[in-house]
Amino acid sequence: MTTSNSQRNTGDILTGFERQITQDRVHAYAEASGDHNPIHLNEEYASTTQFGTRIAHGMLSLALVTEMLASEFPSTWHDGGKLKVRFSAPVFSGEIVTTYGEITAINEEDGQLIATCTIGCKTADGTDVVVGRATVRLE
Amino acid sequence: MAVPLISTVVVGHEFGPYEVTIPAERANAYAKAVGGDESPDYGDSLAPIMVVAAALTELIEDLGLFSGGLQTIHAGQEASWARPVKIGEKVDAIGRLAANSVRRGNHFATVSVSYKDSTGSEIGTSSTTIIVSGEDS
Repeated sequence: MTTSNSQRNTGDILTGFERQITQDRVHAYAEASGDHNPIHLNEEYASTTQFGTRIAHGMLSLALVTEMLASEFPSTWHDGGKLKVRFSAPVFSGEIVTTYGEITAINEEDGQLIATCTIGCKTADGTDVVVGRATVRLE
Repeated sequence: MAVPLISTVVVGHEFGPYEVTIPAERANAYAKAVGGDESPDYGDSLAPIMVVAAALTELIEDLGLFSGGLQTIHAGQEASWARPVKIGEKVDAIGRLAANSVRRGNHFATVSVSYKDSTGSEIGTSSTTIIVSGEDS
């Protein structure tokens, strides 16, 4: 269930979700983005890299975070939303990741209420793979 | 091995414009990649981050980072969007090298991108920071 933006408060937790990053998802993301780098797709090649196996596109993990934001703020995220993240660790094929977020501030800018959120995505062992913040207009 | 552009390009260099038009097949692939029961309904629009990712692929190719022997780490990403983009809508992405330094043999580069619609209006921006290693020079 989506909470009305007018009911948002500092400290509100965004509703995250789990996703297993299967190799099928990685292949689909390669088709979507056009990024066919073999480090994501070719196990033989990936085994020669510093990671030793295939890793998911960092942008795939970020895409999951933006799914959470689009679900939480359906009327405003795609209309003025901003994000800034760093990719802090790889996601290996088959791993389960969880998105998370929290509203840390609500400020008025140019007559509009803007929520600032910490956002991220972590693996099952708690390793952060995407960490950052987003700002989104509230209605 | 050919010298990748990342080795010679200077700050301020422009990339593109790249025409980033996402057809329905690629939008469907995106939904297959990220989708789940709780996914939002985008209707005939795209997740803006998909447009950023498509432009980034073009940039990475132009920078020569798909060359054998190089390892590229996507270190950071910024993005902002002014309005949704429709499936099949033509968007032009123009990149500009905002930073490019070498430390201990690794390139640290940041490329800023402006996204414009068919009227020339800016509808989004992004900034990508990458670390490139494995270059002989």
